[in-house]
Amino acid sequence: MKNIILASVIGLFSLSCFAETIQSTHIDSATGAGTWRIHAHGVSFSLTQILPEQAQAFYVNRGFTLKQIESYTSSCVYMAVLRNDNAPGTIHFIRNNWSILIDGKPHSLVSVDNWVQKLTTDNTKNSALVAFRWAQFPPEQEYETGGDWNQGMLSVGLPSGTQFDAIARWDIDGKAYETKLQGVRCGK
Amino acid sequence: MVNKQLTRILMMVSTVILLTSGISYAEELPPLTHKLTAIKKLIKVPNLRLKNMNEEIVDIKDLKGKIVVINFWATWCPPCRREMGSLERLHLATKDKNVVVLAVNIGEDIDTVFSFMGQVEPSPSFPILFDPDAASMKDWKVRGLPTTYIINPNGFIVYRAVGGREFDHPDIQQTILSLSSNGQI
Repeated sequence: MKNIILASVIGLFSLSCFAETIQSTHIDSATGAGTWRIHAHGVSFSLTQILPEQAQAFYVNRGFTLKQIESYTSSCVYMAVLRNDNAPGTIHFIRNNWSILIDGKPHSLVSVDNWVQKLTTDNTKNSALVAFRWAQFPPEQEYETGGDWNQGMLSVGLPSGTQFDAIARWDIDGKAYETKLQGVRCGK
Repeated sequence: MVNKQLTRILMMVSTVILLTSGISYAEELPPLTHKLTAIKKLIKVPNLRLKNMNEEIVDIKDLKGKIVVINFWATWCPPCRREMGSLERLHLATKDKNVVVLAVNIGEDIDTVFSFMGQVEPSPSFPILFDPDAASMKDWKVRGLPTTYIINPNGFIVYRAVGGREFDHPDIQQTILSLSSNGQI
């Protein structure tokens, strides 16, 4: 009897640990854009693809020309959301520490500053650049537990059809944590 | 070729409508919470001197003695749009209780903000300030939109919220109004 109770407790504990880090995927039937979500260590992380036409519309509406923003909008852009739901403390992250893996091999992300530099020409409107900078997922941030969060755009710089894993990393008082979204795909 | 271009234009127009209305992603987004983070070490309020919708200068130094709720936002930011109605309800509930709600728009012009106001229910009646170059973001250590600070009557930042909130929630209202009697936390 004791063994059965112990086995049940271990089973439930394992199940709850599994549920804690389970990944879900949703494909929008109208657009084909996917959303990949995971909850781990009290933190939610998700990527939702923004289709090139959607990204173009957003930035043209902010003052870019199609030509100016083309390199960015065709680079496989996601809406990233990171949220401290109930982590054991304040989470701190530096986005450049995150990883994109293709078949297990790392692929570098272009930093927000580099994108701003690339998009800055004599003809680019300042208001468009300001909107671009602040529409990106923050390069560095701290979230208190209980619901601090941001959403922002994240370019992974990959051609359509590419499948990759995305690892988000953060620390709490210097202790490192990470979570991985597997099988994220750049839609067409 | 013409059909392809037409489809592209239609898709762009519909996307602009969806993105600017903030509806498309609403069901995908995390729920707005009602928790403010207490600042452990009080921060003296940074400088802020910007024009409002009437192009009059508003200086935060002139608001000393009041509780100030200051929200950094943009019309294209979905969580900013989601919380704007709740900021107005907070403003309506607290404007006679020594509370001032301010929103600092980042990088947009008066016409863009004015047309957005008509889409918010209830439409904001609190002051909107304009920071066209996002210059205030560095001084205020804003790393992402929206970010909101609560300033006590002595001129110190005492609470912070990163990401969208339900500002008209009774818990938030109570926290803000308690600063009136305490002066500081």
